[in-house]
Amino acid sequence: MSTIPTISTSPGSELAAAGAVDAVKRYGSGDAEVRALDGVTVSFESGKYTAIMGPSGSGKSTLLHCLAGLDDLTSGAVYIGDTYLAKLNDKQLTELRRTKVGFIFQAYNLIPTLTAAENISLPMMLGGTDGDKAWVDEVIDTVGLRDRLKHRPSELSGGQQQRVAVARALASQPTIIFADEPTGNLDSRSGAEILQFMQDAVRRHGQTIVMVTHDPVAAAYADRVLFLNDGRIVDEMLDPTADSVLEHLKNVGE
Amino acid sequence: MAGSTSLIARRSIRSRLGRTISIASAILMGVAFVVGTFVLADSLKATFEGLFSDINENIDLEVRQELAFGDEAEGVQRDPIPLEIAGQIGTIDGVREAVPTIGRYAQVIDGDGAAVTLGGGPTLGVTDTEDEELSTVTVFEGRRPSADGEVAIDGATAEEADLGVGDPVQITTDAGTFEFEIVGLVGLGDTEAFGGASISVFPLETALEVLGTDGKIDAVDISLEDGADPAAVRAAIEAAIPDGTEVITGEELSEEQADAVNQFVDIFATGLLIFAFITAFVSAFIINNVFAITIGQRLRELALLRAIGAAGRQVRRMIYVEALVMSLVATVLGIGAGVLIAKGLTAVFNAAGAGFPTSGTVISLRTVAMAFLVGVGITMLSVVVPARRAAKIPPVAAMRPELGFDTINARRLVGGTVTLVVGALMFVAGLFLRPGGTIGLIALAGGGGLLIFIGVASVSSTIARPVVGVLGWPIRKVFGTAGRLARDNAARSPRRTSASAAALMIGVALVSAASVFAISLRVSVGNAFSTSLDADYVVTSDSFQGLPPSVAAALRDVPEIAAVTPIQGSAVEIDGEQKAIGAGDPEALDQLIDLEVRDGGSLADLGEGDIFVHVDAASDFELAVGDPVDVRFPNGGERTLTMTGVFDDATFVGNYLVSLDTLDESSDAPRAAFFVVAKLQPGTDPAQARTAINEALDDLPQAKAQTVEEFVGAQEDQINQILVVISSLLVFAIAIAVLGISITLALAVFERTREIGLLRAVGMNKRQTRRAVRWEAVIVSLFGAIVGVVVGSLIGVALTLAVPDSVIEGLSFSWPTVAFILVGAVIAGLVASLYPSFKASRMDVCDAIATR
Repeated sequence: MSTIPTISTSPGSELAAAGAVDAVKRYGSGDAEVRALDGVTVSFESGKYTAIMGPSGSGKSTLLHCLAGLDDLTSGAVYIGDTYLAKLNDKQLTELRRTKVGFIFQAYNLIPTLTAAENISLPMMLGGTDGDKAWVDEVIDTVGLRDRLKHRPSELSGGQQQRVAVARALASQPTIIFADEPTGNLDSRSGAEILQFMQDAVRRHGQTIVMVTHDPVAAAYADRVLFLNDGRIVDEMLDPTADSVLEHLKNVGE
Repeated sequence: MAGSTSLIARRSIRSRLGRTISIASAILMGVAFVVGTFVLADSLKATFEGLFSDINENIDLEVRQELAFGDEAEGVQRDPIPLEIAGQIGTIDGVREAVPTIGRYAQVIDGDGAAVTLGGGPTLGVTDTEDEELSTVTVFEGRRPSADGEVAIDGATAEEADLGVGDPVQITTDAGTFEFEIVGLVGLGDTEAFGGASISVFPLETALEVLGTDGKIDAVDISLEDGADPAAVRAAIEAAIPDGTEVITGEELSEEQADAVNQFVDIFATGLLIFAFITAFVSAFIINNVFAITIGQRLRELALLRAIGAAGRQVRRMIYVEALVMSLVATVLGIGAGVLIAKGLTAVFNAAGAGFPTSGTVISLRTVAMAFLVGVGITMLSVVVPARRAAKIPPVAAMRPELGFDTINARRLVGGTVTLVVGALMFVAGLFLRPGGTIGLIALAGGGGLLIFIGVASVSSTIARPVVGVLGWPIRKVFGTAGRLARDNAARSPRRTSASAAALMIGVALVSAASVFAISLRVSVGNAFSTSLDADYVVTSDSFQGLPPSVAAALRDVPEIAAVTPIQGSAVEIDGEQKAIGAGDPEALDQLIDLEVRDGGSLADLGEGDIFVHVDAASDFELAVGDPVDVRFPNGGERTLTMTGVFDDATFVGNYLVSLDTLDESSDAPRAAFFVVAKLQPGTDPAQARTAINEALDDLPQAKAQTVEEFVGAQEDQINQILVVISSLLVFAIAIAVLGISITLALAVFERTREIGLLRAVGMNKRQTRRAVRWEAVIVSLFGAIVGVVVGSLIGVALTLAVPDSVIEGLSFSWPTVAFILVGAVIAGLVASLYPSFKASRMDVCDAIATR
């Protein structure tokens, strides 16, 4: 299980929502040099739910940040849809994040001064559009926030806040959603709800999601799991279950 | 796009209410002071303009002596004109009535023999007429005086002196002191007072005798017949009156009188305005600092916005919108507060006896425009840097806040140093080179001063850590752990500490600069008076009208006095330039004032028709002893005086000196003395001399006899008072500075919620918590005060050196003042810490630790 997996789809092909080619990210230099990403080549198929797993410091968060255009690479390339991010200036990157990318973070996801409804429609408002009203309504109903729309984040539970964050990510119908430990701060029941919403978005609406997680149960909601270690992709698993992921992690541990 | 930025901005304003209120109050105070100043000045001007046009409403024309140069507002006095002119004018076709008028010094004396003054306002004796139209006063009790020995006085003076109709009263004029019976009380228009002036009204025949005009009058007020052609009548009058007299219209007269008063209002308003702008400038520092801090605290929120697709531009605009909305609201409130300040200032000045009219509040468009310029302008300028910083927050900081801002301290230090050096150069160039005269001086020195403060504020962060370390040492020793926390917290972010202290630094620097300047001036003035005076007594007047000739005359009769002379003055033109000449009795002057006459000359050379010139003026005009000097007097008379001496000390007599005889020969204008100086017979007992002098001046209550020591002390006190006034006007700026430290600390307490919670959890009690915050505030304000004293003293030294040696010779520094300022800074710190320390100690420990 230590061979480098083959790439299921090639970069820039119509099926790939996003991907990276030989992505390298170094921090520091000389003895203090850390290779957070050490030549990652990967692509994420459109309409699929991918989980990225790996121990702390394996580079999974860095990969996510670079894929999302939040951070830049030392060398290599990342693309979203048919756009290579390195070619974009700050303005274009911002535009890309607003229209093509959705985010779900571990914590502190929402603007504390805005209501739930305002937080959900914020990316569209920033772009000066109302978005697809019917779709936004459907998203709100799906995540069950109809009666919480006027509330501020501080008046919502952690699970409710994360549902708002999911709704915000879905509302603008982005090409791809990146989720960074979305259930890390939640109890298991709220976490399961969030994961279910995300899976439904992929299964029913063809949304593409890439999620970083520690949790084999969370990873089991995905269509595919990538395993990262020392800045490299070391393995891949399709149609995972919690048990198979756990088993895999145990094996690596040995 | 605009919708989302303004939505977030508005929400941010509302949900961070405490911070919003603090920033808004800083803006509000700055705006209110500016508006208050403008409203006060405009209202005063409008009132005076209305007042004078009311008084002169029915005067169609006035005839009076023509001034050859200058105007009365500059203290140039008119000669009186012959009474007969009024009769001649009365016969001219179209003239309905021509009333002779006199307006001269007249001082009401109360039952205890004390002069009645209304807070230093003028005391005037005037004539009045039964002619309804030309009468300038309103009788509200009793009647108009008609016979010799009768007088009417104004209601305010009557109330002050506890006098009423039927009471006897003594009135002192330039001609002596006379006894009258009050037959009426008068006022101006609808009021029972004369806007701060004390007025006595005499019948014309009495006035001609007692007001010191030698039977002459000051002017003729003329009312025309209905239907008469004003231009034609004016021409006829002009043809009939002698050379050296002029005709003006009632409107011109009103304008002139209003202008004269308004000049003072303008000077007064400009002075206040300078302090108003200083206040606004100080608020800008607070606004900048608070925005910078809150943006730091909102780092993750702003980064999140960037991550989900807000452009840097949108984040920047959001900060601008926040600032704009806040400043607009604060400006509107500030305008309201400004009107209240104007009313308050009027009340304060009236309590001090200024006699400002209180009617009417004028809010001009210019005032409102200025309010928005100041309120919105300073706020928007203050947030430029914080907003740019906010726009540069990397989106990834939403997930990894430790990435935060890159602190670019090197650039800040370079920028601050450049600003400081450029500011200092401008300041010094403005003071010493004065390109473009006064305007260049004000623009360069003022602009340079602002840059100096901005530069010092940014550079001072580099010295904040060591200075705070030193300041904190004793506090740490005394207060243990709490003291140590106070010191460490103050040293934690040197940039924030210096920014919080900057506002106080500016206030303290201005106080220090004023104090170095004023103390140096005080010492020089004291020295100059002491060395140039050989006299024993100086007689002065509280009123700006000076002393009548009768004062010197009364002292001449005192046997204990060896020599006495008044120092009189007049405006003249020499070589086409308006100058002031002094006049005295040469023989007495020789014994009383050391003029340091040069080249073996003596005051005995100053005969009628001679002039002495100060050495500087002599070199300016290239004059030497023996040269003729052409002098033109206000009445148009020209004389060629002979220069017979050069002197070095201009402290008492100014640059030009003539004898009293020369002045008497040249002009009939009323001439008051600024001082009367006297020397005692050798060996006179001081107590006996004082009694004799006071007895001689018994009838002249406006004359205040002081020994030379008392006189010098009084001059020094005046300078001290100016320093006190300047410091009081800086109170607004210092209050804002204290508010600023308070806000910064409150924000810091909020930031350190977890930390304080943790300290409380492991056993720090409420008292220690409060103490840590309190002494942190004291360290911050002491830091500001120390930098302020250093910067301000240097500015004060530059100011002092820029003044010619003849006015300020040498520098003087006062350590007690510095000590006073530092103690004040400790108190300011304690006051500033009240709210934040309360907040810190009230924090709920569980909540504090639970906060994510």
